[in-house]
Amino acid sequence: METIRFSNVTFSYPLAEAPALREVDFSAQPSEFIVVCGKSGCGKTTLLRHMKKNLVPYGRFEGSVTYDGEDIQKLDDRRSASEIGFVQQDPDNQIVTDKVWHEMAFGLESLGVDPQTIRRRVAEMASFFDIQTWFRKDVSQLSGGQKQMLNLASIMVMQPKLLILDEPTSQLDPIAAGDFFRTIHRINRELGITVIISEHRLEDVFAMADKVCVMDQGRILVCDAPERIGAFLTGETEADRHPMFYGLPSVTKIFHGAGARGKAPLTVREGRLWLEETVQAAKERAAGPAAEEKTESAAADQEEKAAPAVIRAKDLWFRYDKKSQDVLRDLQLEVRKGEWMAVLGGNGVGKSTMLKVICGMIKPQRGSLTEEGRIVMLPQNPKALFTEIEVEDELLEVLHGSSLSDEEKVRRVTEMMKLLGIDHLSHSHPYDLSGGEEQRLALGKVLLLDPDILLLDEPTKGLDPFFKVTLAGILRKLCQQGQTILMVSHDIEFCAEYVDRCAMFFDGGITSVGEAKEFFRGNHFYTTTANRIARDHFPDAITWEEVAACVRPLI
Amino acid sequence: MFREGIGEGTFTGYHPWVNLTYYIFAVGLTILTLSPWFLAATFVMAWMYSLLLRGREVVKINLILSLWIFVIMGALNLFFSHEGVTVLCYIGDNAITAEALAYGISAGIMLVSVILWFSSFNVIMSAEKLIFIFGRALPVLGLTLSMVFRYVPLLKQRFADIRMGQACLAKAEKPGYLQKVRQFGREVSILISWSLESSIESADSMEARGYGLPGRTSFHLYRFTGRDGRMLAAMILLGGFTAACLIGGTAKVQFYPEHIVPAFDPMTGAALACYCLLLALPILIDIHGELRWRRFDSAM
Repeated sequence: METIRFSNVTFSYPLAEAPALREVDFSAQPSEFIVVCGKSGCGKTTLLRHMKKNLVPYGRFEGSVTYDGEDIQKLDDRRSASEIGFVQQDPDNQIVTDKVWHEMAFGLESLGVDPQTIRRRVAEMASFFDIQTWFRKDVSQLSGGQKQMLNLASIMVMQPKLLILDEPTSQLDPIAAGDFFRTIHRINRELGITVIISEHRLEDVFAMADKVCVMDQGRILVCDAPERIGAFLTGETEADRHPMFYGLPSVTKIFHGAGARGKAPLTVREGRLWLEETVQAAKERAAGPAAEEKTESAAADQEEKAAPAVIRAKDLWFRYDKKSQDVLRDLQLEVRKGEWMAVLGGNGVGKSTMLKVICGMIKPQRGSLTEEGRIVMLPQNPKALFTEIEVEDELLEVLHGSSLSDEEKVRRVTEMMKLLGIDHLSHSHPYDLSGGEEQRLALGKVLLLDPDILLLDEPTKGLDPFFKVTLAGILRKLCQQGQTILMVSHDIEFCAEYVDRCAMFFDGGITSVGEAKEFFRGNHFYTTTANRIARDHFPDAITWEEVAACVRPLI
Repeated sequence: MFREGIGEGTFTGYHPWVNLTYYIFAVGLTILTLSPWFLAATFVMAWMYSLLLRGREVVKINLILSLWIFVIMGALNLFFSHEGVTVLCYIGDNAITAEALAYGISAGIMLVSVILWFSSFNVIMSAEKLIFIFGRALPVLGLTLSMVFRYVPLLKQRFADIRMGQACLAKAEKPGYLQKVRQFGREVSILISWSLESSIESADSMEARGYGLPGRTSFHLYRFTGRDGRMLAAMILLGGFTAACLIGGTAKVQFYPEHIVPAFDPMTGAALACYCLLLALPILIDIHGELRWRRFDSAM
């Protein structure tokens, strides 16, 4: 019997114009691994919430949802609590108690399990998740990745049969996210637990999934094996492509972008093998030079920009207190006027500290820093900026106290909302916005201050792939208007595709810097997936589109 | 020898009930008597234990605390209580008596001792142990405390994030006093709405894990071992005997109208010995434990 079955479910939130789910038919077999993807606001969360009794949203509901053949709403509370586990987005908000061990025991305490059994099950899970070393720690001392792992573990101790995860890695950095996915994969493979996960970051989970469901406007468009999803989304022509196509892993995009048919590769390894095969086959066919000509496109537009530097940091040293280590050591950085620069690097290496120093929030102990123009920084968490109850007021608040006339203020705010594409939300409460919309509103607040230099801290965190494209467009426009952007990021693919110059941050300083293409070409591991797949044959192709363009003539 | 303090020594490792019993006796018996012998014992021991655990950093604050309380209590009683037969002098029409001075000093020492006991209590009784103890009495209280200890650092972090975010938006000109107050109000308001918003998710997470089902149990990591049992028995024996003696009238001091300290009879001696031994138990245990570690380290 199916673990979960949706039969013809239509659901609308109260006062909403359009239903959030439309005629959804969906089922999950025992031990299946299902990935649900789609734009933000397409109904993923609503779908997942219908699978857990106490989280079912309030509204008009038609159809039926059954768990193991039984109506979800009629499920016994105790059974629902223990057999269906639900992990939410935010790692912090789900943790209830102050100690790791107590958090793990929380669910079992609720179920009334005796302490001896709790001790044993907690021990088992702590070993499975490898959290013995921080078992007795305070939860406030954990990193974001550890917190989310703890949330998962504290659900796993209840021995669920179905695990539902709603964008669990949106707040995590790529390395922590990778760890998290591998653990989920293990849970599915080694314990046979059914997993349903909604995700934007398909690069990792795509290869793990048995089925991928693509949602759009409350409907499930397709639910099929990952190898076949790409073909469905690609369509016949480029214009025919479903927007969700751009969210697919690079390998799949290259495969379909190049116009190949058949079973799509899902991992870098498979991608490399496929490319090798394709190139060999093409060589045999042509028995001559075919591929190597393709280098002119990348090397073409290399005009020297000799714009003056607006940020010039020389020999910066900083540490938080006397006894701690240097966070910045001998940092050199130059950002030119009108350019968009990204600083990449690992976790907790001091990238954010660098931004704070440049922003003037903290003073370096040594070195010189010269800046021209007004600097404004967009913090990582947009919620930290919101004070008002409507989006429009939120933006007007920034202009409070300036000498502009009221009409002028309103005009600027309206313009800003248009630029960011949030004009239809002008009367919504900032907390009701989705992650991407919140980010846009926060950006709007910062931009109304009319900065010359904009500092961004992880602007793509938690955003869906479509909004990333929009964001890139907005930022590019700012650069063209002569504003300068400096951002720190983990998002290699985004930087490779849109940014002018990239720099690598390591050990307190910038170790290498260059034009985005140049920069990634020089790296061997720290580069885009597309480049890792194709670097043997097309070393100059960095983004998936470039690789796909190189491969297309070979097919 | 222990200049930096030993921090959480061996005694912390005993079961929370043992730790708690010790403090109940230490503080309870201190309050029970004003006899100079007993006050001296508790004062000295409280100082010693506080020093042993926390090292020299605590000397200054303990001294300041002791001195001030001592002076204030003494002075208050001296100037406001005019009972007693031994008049030292007159201020206006009010008699300043030796008895009032003696009482003030005794009460001052008692109060200082109690405060010093709490200085080591803070090290021994971690939040985790308090949660355990309250949780035994009332499970909901235990969980609530645990949640409080969870949310305090979370809110602090969140407030720091908000400050930082607001600093990003800061207008160029230097804010005046009124603007600073306004800004602080705004930050607090963000903190509140953000926290309310996220508490919905926390509530979901609790309910999703079955919170609210009848028959909730409460889990902990403490195990009551033989060592704890023996220790507890020894404490109850020593403490009980002392308490019985003190309540029974041994070493009862009279202050008014005349300050009379009873003679040091064998019964007082026995009770005092038991009291001192009781108070010294954790100190002996900790020092013993520390020495054992040193031997162990040097043998390596």
